[in-house]
Parts: sequence; structure tokens; C-alpha cells
Amino acid sequence: MTRTRILTGVAATLALMAAGCSGGGEDDGPVELTFWHGYSEADGDVLEEIVADFNASQDDITINTELKTWASIDDTLLTALSAGEGPGLVAMPAERLPVYASKGAFASLDDFYADESSNTANLVPGAVAMEEVEGEKFGVPSGFVPLAVYYNTALFDAAGVTEFPQTWDEWVSASKQLTVDEDGDGTPEQYGVVLPDHATVANGLWPSLFYGNGGDIVDGGTAVIDSPENAETLEFWSSAINADQISPTGIDGIGADELFSGGKAAMTVGGPWMASIAAENEIDYAIAPLPAGPAAQAASAIGISMAVTVDTSDAEQAAAEEFLAYFLNEENSVKWSLGSGWPPLRTDIPADAVAENPTVAALTEISATGRPLLPGVVNSVDVLTAIDELTQRAVAGEDVATLLAEAQAEIQTALDD
Amino acid sequence: MSADHVPVRRYRPPAPLGGRRRATGSQSGRNAKALLFLTPALIILGLFVVWPMISALRLSFTDASGFGREEWVGLENYVKVFTDSDVFDAVTNTALYTVLFTPTAVIAALGLALLLNSPHMPFRSFFRTALFVPFTISFAVAAFAWSYLIDPQVGLLNYWLRGMGVQMGNVLEDPQLAMPAVAFVAVWKLFGFYFVIFLAGLQDIPSSLYEAARIDGAGPWARLRRITLPLLSNTMAFVLIFATIAALQTFDQIYVMTGGGPYGHTQTVVMEIYESGFRKLDIGFASALSYVLLIATLILSLVQFVFFGRREKDLS
Amino acid sequence: MSPRRGNRLREIRPGTVLATIALVVVSAIVLLPIAIIVFTAFKPAVEVNAFPPSLLPDAWTLDNVREVTSELPFARLMGNSFLFAGGVTLFALVFDSLAAYALARIDFTGRKVLLVAIIATLMIPFQATLIPLYQLVADLGWVNTYTGLIAPRAADAFGIFFLRQFFLALPRDIDSAARMDGASEFRLFRSIVIPNAMPALLTLGLFTFVNNWNDLLWPLVFTTDAEMGTITSGLTLLTGPSGIVPHGVMMAGSLIAILPLVIAFLFVQRRFIENIATTGLK
Repeated sequence: MTRTRILTGVAATLALMAAGCSGGGEDDGPVELTFWHGYSEADGDVLEEIVADFNASQDDITINTELKTWASIDDTLLTALSAGEGPGLVAMPAERLPVYASKGAFASLDDFYADESSNTANLVPGAVAMEEVEGEKFGVPSGFVPLAVYYNTALFDAAGVTEFPQTWDEWVSASKQLTVDEDGDGTPEQYGVVLPDHATVANGLWPSLFYGNGGDIVDGGTAVIDSPENAETLEFWSSAINADQISPTGIDGIGADELFSGGKAAMTVGGPWMASIAAENEIDYAIAPLPAGPAAQAASAIGISMAVTVDTSDAEQAAAEEFLAYFLNEENSVKWSLGSGWPPLRTDIPADAVAENPTVAALTEISATGRPLLPGVVNSVDVLTAIDELTQRAVAGEDVATLLAEAQAEIQTALDD
Repeated sequence: MSADHVPVRRYRPPAPLGGRRRATGSQSGRNAKALLFLTPALIILGLFVVWPMISALRLSFTDASGFGREEWVGLENYVKVFTDSDVFDAVTNTALYTVLFTPTAVIAALGLALLLNSPHMPFRSFFRTALFVPFTISFAVAAFAWSYLIDPQVGLLNYWLRGMGVQMGNVLEDPQLAMPAVAFVAVWKLFGFYFVIFLAGLQDIPSSLYEAARIDGAGPWARLRRITLPLLSNTMAFVLIFATIAALQTFDQIYVMTGGGPYGHTQTVVMEIYESGFRKLDIGFASALSYVLLIATLILSLVQFVFFGRREKDLS
Repeated sequence: MSPRRGNRLREIRPGTVLATIALVVVSAIVLLPIAIIVFTAFKPAVEVNAFPPSLLPDAWTLDNVREVTSELPFARLMGNSFLFAGGVTLFALVFDSLAAYALARIDFTGRKVLLVAIIATLMIPFQATLIPLYQLVADLGWVNTYTGLIAPRAADAFGIFFLRQFFLALPRDIDSAARMDGASEFRLFRSIVIPNAMPALLTLGLFTFVNNWNDLLWPLVFTTDAEMGTITSGLTLLTGPSGIVPHGVMMAGSLIAILPLVIAFLFVQRRFIENIATTGLK
């Protein structure tokens, strides 16, 4: 490394003055591993518990967790790894994994998956698909849950909507029924549903709608956004949003959650944390799968991946894998699922094992409809930007065909990068 | 009107890059003395600013991701900087931001400094304090507070304006209004500092000059044009250069308020650098773009120096 | 004398009234976000997103403040902020003024080139040098130490340039007189230039302290250990899952984070604002 060359003269003197020296040999004694994650709520408590149990279960490995926000993991991982100061294990939003993996930040886990004792054999297939980059697996899922509709039961009762909609048409008409413009000024005080048009929750709302009509974004490394199905989807929803005013416009995912928690939207499409947010805001809620589109009942999944970084020795990598296998064992899978509110990651966990948590039970039922978002796509940043621009401008009323052609070109460029 | 009675030449503020020198001792003696004074700062700057800059320059010719693997790619990153349409948009946006931010902040600061330099203003001390307070607030907090105030649903400012019949709409999602909005937040946060610098500059102007001009019959406008502005030109150059650098490197409040949206309309050059480096892990490209920004800033600053330097010469 | 004073009053009065009104309006706009931070910090969660919005809380609550102090290692973060911003300010004032003295008052070879070079270092965005800088600090073994947090900021180009401008403005007669008396360059610096530059040093000190206290990116990226973070970087931890920021809690956190600065500023503001410009020799 060229940069060590500057450790001469003044720099060396300064270095001698410095208090501690990091690094050092880790050949002897127990292996210590740092684990960065962003689980800050009840899920964080359970994770700490599992880690503490793991540390207590054997004498050779100690895992130290470091809580950060999901956003700051992205801000700090690159710098830390580039200087050899990174964590051994890291959890991150699944669509962020491919870019790190492709740039050589993570260790390949193919051998781990091949090992029977890794407890990976029965993982939800969609969740495993998130971890693959160019045929190699670089992570283990710690979360995989399809987007679902969280709805305000009090508002449903007040509007006399008794059945949760099952199709898009029913969804729109229920939303119309739930939209209230009391003073008739053209701006409803209460919206039936809130459909953000950019930066949607886990970037998954519009992909979910595309799937519902049989469309997709990327298929086998090729952009397929400009399909007639997607054009239909965009036209259907932008007309529902604009003509029927079932949802406000110009809202992002965070704004959507805020509207719902403020009781100003009867339905929102969100993740498991909406349960606790609704409870905090004293909103009675229920969970339902996204109403089926004309072609499919499908939803984009929110995924979290755990990966072993290149900042690890062989011993540390083995230790990290031991922890991952422990995390995925049957007992911990159930514990993690119940505590975090996310459905189990293993298909062989029986439904009644998680029945005690109604949120988990409801989400487990629809778990199979979840599809990973842009699995294996390295430049997901530009693809997601293109989708945001597409949906935002489509909802604003611009010509869908032109927008789709632009998005198609941009996404293909990003894929070819 | 004749300016003969106005003894402007008596007072000369320091030139930004010049200065009078009265040599004492030998040149080598002065060099040695200067080195002693400069050493601590130069070690810090050399080690923690210049060395990373050199590293970044080297990285700009590679495809580095930060994880060890890197290959020399020659000028590829620079070619991409000048051909990439996203970079072009970011440059356009940054130029727009600079044009919105710099004159507004500088004129607001100057105007308020002129008002509050007058001993006749009541509550002078209160106003001076109030205007400086935003500078002590971090960009992140400022952006957060303003976003909340102009929120289309629950924003207080939005609500009040609606009450007055002004429909502000969803400002941060409006392609035309988002940039003015983020520029406004920067003006709010930073003008207090420029204001204080201008106050300092104004107090350095000897009051005898104004007395003389008044005897000469010069009105407030003439005094401003003939005394205040010319004698403030160095302060002006100082403020303008730093305001321009701040504008060209704007990042924080945009990151918090719009994230570069709506669809790229507030994506500035530093946002692009950040996204390329920290999101796409393309350090090489991010470094190349940074160097292009550095060169552009340097050129712009030199132009400002030259412009204000000439104004100063006209004076004497 | 008296006719002129009368003239001045007639000339200024209507303008003063207008100007005062304008200043009241500007101050109100300027202070509105501060007011919203203060009052929202004491609003219960249900009021924060309520419509119609109001400035003042209906039911004042300390819940938000309590949540901030329970979710963050609050005292530790504040202490770190003081150490970081204070340490940087202290070192930077000393190193910057030494360098500025040489640049303003010693005629050495390459002075202008050096000055331009120093200013040029301000023109590269910090984001570009962050990774090499972090690698360097890591090579020095300073990750998660106060030394590592402070050292890279212990001198800065803006401060050097700023002080140089002030030092240039100090009359040169006194120091040439002192030079004749055989005073050493350092004594000139310490007993003549520095005492006369106090307002400038105060301004720069405030500026440096505020900027570092409020800096987000460097402490955020530099400290991988939450115990080493600052209050400003710690506030990001209040962001909920999926990026939702609970407004009341965040405002309470912001209020706590800005309070020391505002108090410190109000404390020095008389000296600061009133004296900023006077070089002390008039």
C-alpha cells in the first residue's frame, strides 16, 4: 500500500504520540467480531438477545453488535472497509448488497450454503435470490417480507367499507369511498389510500403494481420496463390518483407513513414497522395483502441481508458463518420472527409456531407472494432513480409512452455499466 | 459631483492578495522566521488536506472502489465527467443554485449590515443578534425544520400562507420550486455570517469620510456609491468568494430536504460526487468529478479577485 | 452643528420607521424555524402531525426530551461534542494565527503562491478527500480516538485567510517601532498583534466552534463506535425504521443540540457583534 509510505518523519512522530494502536494479531484466543446493523426497535432487542445467547453458547467467538441507522451503514461502510477498520459482519438493505459484492467488499458464501449445517436449505427462495450476484451468494437474509396494505379499521368502519378489496378495481372503489372532501375545496381532508410516487417504502410500491399486471423491470440482465403491461399499470393508477383523487400526489414513502399515522389516509402500503407506528399513534389497524392485479397477486419484498466482509481472517470468516448458522437455526428463526415482527425466513417453520404474534401470522400467510427487488443488479441506484422519475412524472400526467422509453434506455444503460 | 473633497486615499483596506511590505532583516532570515510560524499549520494542512487531495488525484485515474482492487484507467473517468448527461445536469443545477444563492445571501447580508450599522436604528443589538442566530443551527436541523414548516399537509407556514390566499403547494416536489427552496434555506442559514463580516468591514470605514461627504452635500445614495461600496470592495471580494465556494459545494440541506429530487432537479455536483462514491462505490469517477469542480471553483474565484482588484485600482 | 443635526433627523426618520418594520418582518421569518423547533419539541406526538397545525402545543409534554435522553448516550455525546469542537477551535486558533501572521507580516519568498495554494485547498469538496483522509487516520492508528477526530481540523485554510486579512489591517507603525527596539518576531506576534486581533479571533473561534459542533459527515464517518460520536451525528440515530423521523423527538434532540451554541453565542454576543470590527487601535 502506497499510503503507508507517508508514515515517515512527522507522521511517524505523531503516530507515536497517539494513544492506542488498533489491529494486532488475532491468532490466539477467542475471535472477536463486530456486527453492524440498523435494527433499532423491538427487533434490535431480540437480535441482541440472540447474539448474547450465541456468545454464551461457546467460548471461542464473541460478537459485538454496533447499532447504526441503515442510512449511516451505507455512509460509513465504504470508508471503514477501505481502511481495514470495517466490521466483520454487516446487515444492510438487500438491494444494496450487489454493488458491494461486485466491488469485492464481501466474502463468497457459496461453501457456507453448500454445508448442510448452515441451516440454509429451507430458506425462502425469494430471499436467497437477493443474495446472488453473478451466480455467487454473498449474503444471508435476515429479513424478507412482501409489502402489505396496512389499513385504519376505524376509518373503514366510518365509511362503511366492510370487505377488504381483493382486486385493483375494488381497491380503487373502496379508496373512493374512503376519500373525504368535506369542505368541497377539491383537496380531500382524508384520502382512501396513499400511493407515494417516488422513494416509496423499500422502493417497492410501483414494482409491486407492475408485477400485479404481469410486468417487470429487469429480466435476466435486460430492461423490460417499457412493456404494454407497465404502460397500462401506470395509466390505470395515475388516472385513479388524479381523476378520482384517491391519493395525494408528490408524496414519498416517508410522507405516506406520516399521513397514515396522522389518520389522514385510510390505507398505506408498508412494512412490518407500520404495526408499531400505528400503535404509537393510537390507530386501530389491520393488515391485508396487496389486492391482486389483473395478472398476479404479487408484491415487492423488503429485504435485509447479512454479509461477511473482506475485513476478516479465515478464522473470523468461519466464526461469522458459525453465527449465521446459529441465527438461522429453528429455535432462533422462530424467536427472531416473533420478536421482530417479520415472517420466518425458513419455509419449514410451521404456521402455528408464529401464531401468537398476529402481525407475523398475517405476514407469513402472504410471504410466498413476495418477490426480491432487483436481485443481482449492481447499479440499483440508477435503476431506482429511473423508476422514481418514471412514476413521479407519470402521476404528474406526462405521456406514459415517452416516459417508459426514457426509463427503458436509462435502466439498460445502468445494467450495461 | 466632484469627489475631490472625499479623501478616499487616506484609508486603504488590505488587498486580498497584496499588502505593503517593509523589509527588515535579510531575505533568508525572514524565510526562516516565516517557516517557524507556518510549520504547525502546514503540517496539519499538508498531512490531512493536501495528502488526501493527492490521493484523490491518483484515484481519479483508477477504477478504485475502496476495497483494494484498483486498476489504472487513464483519463477514462475524466472523459466520463465531460460526456455523462447526469454530470451535465448536475453542473446546470449547481450553476442555477449558485446564481440563486450567492447574490441573494450577499445582498441580504449587505443590506441588513448597512441598516444595522446606522446608530439611529432602534433595537440594533436585538436585530443583530437575531439575524446571526440561524448561523449557529446546523444545516441538518435547519433543513429538517424548514421541511416541516413547508410540508404540504401539516406545515405551519404553508397553512398560514393558505390562510392569506397564497397556494404554496408541495414546494419540495415541484421541479420549478425545489431549487429555490433549498437555496433559500442556505441563505437563511448562512447570511448571518456574511452580515457580521460586512458589519466589521463597515466599522472599519472612518466616519470622517462620511462627515466630509455630508459637508460636501452628498446624499445617502451618493455616499453609499462613492464611499461605502468602494471601501467595502475587499470585504465584498472575501464574502463573495466564500459564498461562491459554499454554493458550489452545497450538499447538506439538499441531502436532507430533497435527496436531489424531484427527479434530479436539485441534484448538484457534490450530490453527484457523493452518490458516485458512496452509493455506486465508484471512487475513481467521484474523484475525477471533484477535481473538475476544484478547477472550476479556482477559475471562478480568480475572476472574482480580478474583478474586485480592478475596482480597487479605479479608486486610487 | 445644530442645523445639520436637524437635517439628519428629517432625512432619516421616515426611513427609520420603514426600516424598523422591515427588520421586524425579516427577524420574524428568520426566527420562525427556531420557534418551530422549540415548540414542537414540547408537543405530544398526536399534535405534531395534526391539522390544522399550530405553533404552540396544546398540551405541553416532556416526552420527546425524555425519549431523546433515553435513546442516546446523551451526556457522552454532548461531552464529545465539546471536546471535538472545543479542541479543534483551540488548536486552530493558535495554528491559524501563527500562519496568518507570517502570511500577513513577514515578507518571505513564495508568500503569494503559498496563500493561493492554501485557499485552493478549500475548493475541493470534503466528500472527495474523506476516504483517503480516513485511510490516513486509520494508518496512524487513530480510529475512534479524540486525536483522530481533532487533528485533521487543527488548522484550516479559511481561518488562516480570515486572520491574515485582519492582521494586514493592523497598522504597521507599532510593530516596526517594536522591531527597532529589537523585539523578537514572536514577541511582536504575542504582545502586539494578538491582543489587537481579539475581535477577529473571537469571530473565528465562534465560527470554528459552530461549524465543528454542527458538522455531520466527519464525526459520522470517522466514529464507528457510537460512544465516540458527537451530538450532531448522534441525532441521526433518532431516525426510525424506514427513515421515518419522529418530528417531536427530532426537534427535541435538535433543541438540545443547538442550545449550548445559542447560549454560548448570547453570552458572547455583546462582545462579539459590537466589537467584531474594531481592531482595538482606533
